[in-house]
Amino acid sequence: MTKLAIAINLHRCTGCHTCVNACKMQNNVPMGMLWNRVITENSAVSDGVEGTYPNISRTTIPLACQHCENPACQKVCPTGATYKDDMGRVEIDYDKCIGCRMCMAACPYNVRVFNWNEPDRDPGFNYGDARVPVRSKGVVEKCTLCKERTDNGQVPMCVECCPMEARVYGDLDDPNSEISKLRAKNNVRILLEDMGTKPQVFYLE
Amino acid sequence: MQLTSKTKGICILLGVLAAIGVGTWIYQLVNGLGVTGMSNVNSWGTYIIMFMLFVGLSAGGLIVASSAHVFNIESFKPLALPAVICSTVCICLAGMFILIDLGGIVRIWRILTGPNFVSPLLWDMCVITCYLVINILDLVWISKGAEEKVRKLSYVALPVAILVHSVTAWIFGLQIAREWYTAIMAPIFVASALDSGLALLIVCLVALDRAGIAEFPVKLQNMLGKLLATFVAVDAFFIGCEVLTMAYPGAGQAQALAIMATGETAPFFWFEMIGGLLIPFLLLAGQKRRNSTGLVVTASLLVVFGVFCKRCWLLLTSFVEPNMYGAPGISLGTHAAQTGGRATWALTGSYMPTLPEVVIVIGVLALGGLAFTLLSQYLIKGRTQTQGAAGEAHAAKPAEANRAAV
Repeated sequence: MTKLAIAINLHRCTGCHTCVNACKMQNNVPMGMLWNRVITENSAVSDGVEGTYPNISRTTIPLACQHCENPACQKVCPTGATYKDDMGRVEIDYDKCIGCRMCMAACPYNVRVFNWNEPDRDPGFNYGDARVPVRSKGVVEKCTLCKERTDNGQVPMCVECCPMEARVYGDLDDPNSEISKLRAKNNVRILLEDMGTKPQVFYLE
Repeated sequence: MQLTSKTKGICILLGVLAAIGVGTWIYQLVNGLGVTGMSNVNSWGTYIIMFMLFVGLSAGGLIVASSAHVFNIESFKPLALPAVICSTVCICLAGMFILIDLGGIVRIWRILTGPNFVSPLLWDMCVITCYLVINILDLVWISKGAEEKVRKLSYVALPVAILVHSVTAWIFGLQIAREWYTAIMAPIFVASALDSGLALLIVCLVALDRAGIAEFPVKLQNMLGKLLATFVAVDAFFIGCEVLTMAYPGAGQAQALAIMATGETAPFFWFEMIGGLLIPFLLLAGQKRRNSTGLVVTASLLVVFGVFCKRCWLLLTSFVEPNMYGAPGISLGTHAAQTGGRATWALTGSYMPTLPEVVIVIGVLALGGLAFTLLSQYLIKGRTQTQGAAGEAHAAKPAEANRAAV
């Protein structure tokens, strides 16, 4: 089996948002929404800080679908539009999505976005990878782990474009992969671990 | 059977409102759910609130009607027909609200071709369909006077009525991501279904009595009032248990409690506590007060509105604080967000229904009112009149007498 995953080194991440734009461009993500965003943790302003001076810290967290091993979104989907594929990714079959948004209520990470309106694209035409299906109004979408790229042995666009090389992509089921070795280290951070969703995306502190 | 001119006027008004609602729904279908106040951070709104409310309201009717047979409460038996009409109309409205809330209604057949049996939404669709079928069978058999069939059906109807509210609760109560995640969700839903459903039934029975369609004796009003007071107390007890459990550790869910008690959803929370539970309970607790139709109707309306408020705070509180908090927040995906800039983002959730949402809700309610009026005219009044013609004058008399009084 394959269990594709991404590790993100929070020490290397500078919060430059390159992965955000790389993802948006690759996947033809419409205006007003993102599949991947970078948040400044526990701060009300971007690039702000946590704590009070002089005891302050700043953590920028790139946040997208965590491709959970126990995905809350997949369980609740009435039509099976959201599914866990044989590569270990959480994917959406847009033709099956009835737009009930049960998955959005179930996802603890708020990484699912919905096409509330007719999707609007700033250049006025579809952009990005031609292999990526165009979504219509009334369906939910989210990070696919760049399905179209990873199906063909390429790395996800956010990994490809990260200027700090903070992202490592690989197969957690392959014990010799770099990502499996990173996963075994003791500085691994899992987002909202107590929810029991077992994310395959993890962070290094 | 003839409709009085007053009834005709009401029906036309309700029909027009329903038509406007349908028109607005088409507008929503064309333009997308972006015409509502919902967004990626607050992804469910008024439609889901109304769905929860109407699933609950539907309970009272069927539970009273089936209890009449299951527990052999003779005095409830004449109420069975209006009660089941009320229940049937409410469950249809609940279903409509879910359909209106769907973004991709054209793909709804996918539920039949590829159902995911672990989804509480699928359970709900199954159990609501069963419930609707039971309601319709009950309606047909009661109006035909098939006493034995009704009695047997009641033994199925009662547990299904309780299940339908539990399953609706599990749509929310099983989501670990939200503050809804609590085992008491199903009991709370059943309790508020019992009190709001019975309250609506009382209001409908008084209305039918006033319209001269079916008699609602004061003795029965007193009895149902007492039952309603009990249900209100049970509901208050469950909510009390939940609130205490949230508050006591002073951590975790205490944040959600603060939003309910002093934050964004506080008006709904406090209205329910005082206006929806305390005041109706006090009004209904007195033996003499329960003989006053005015007081009983006031208390009943307060209970229904209180449960509506509960649906609001219950649903919306969980959308306020995202689990992963940090600027710039969540990309909203709304119409405003499409223009870019700051309008794209929200740190915390907020929600305000838009005009199309309100108009659609009014349209659905009007359709419900219309269906109830016509069904009670045809099934109850029509029935008492045929019975009267057949020589069972005693059945028709009270209705006739009442109409003369009106």
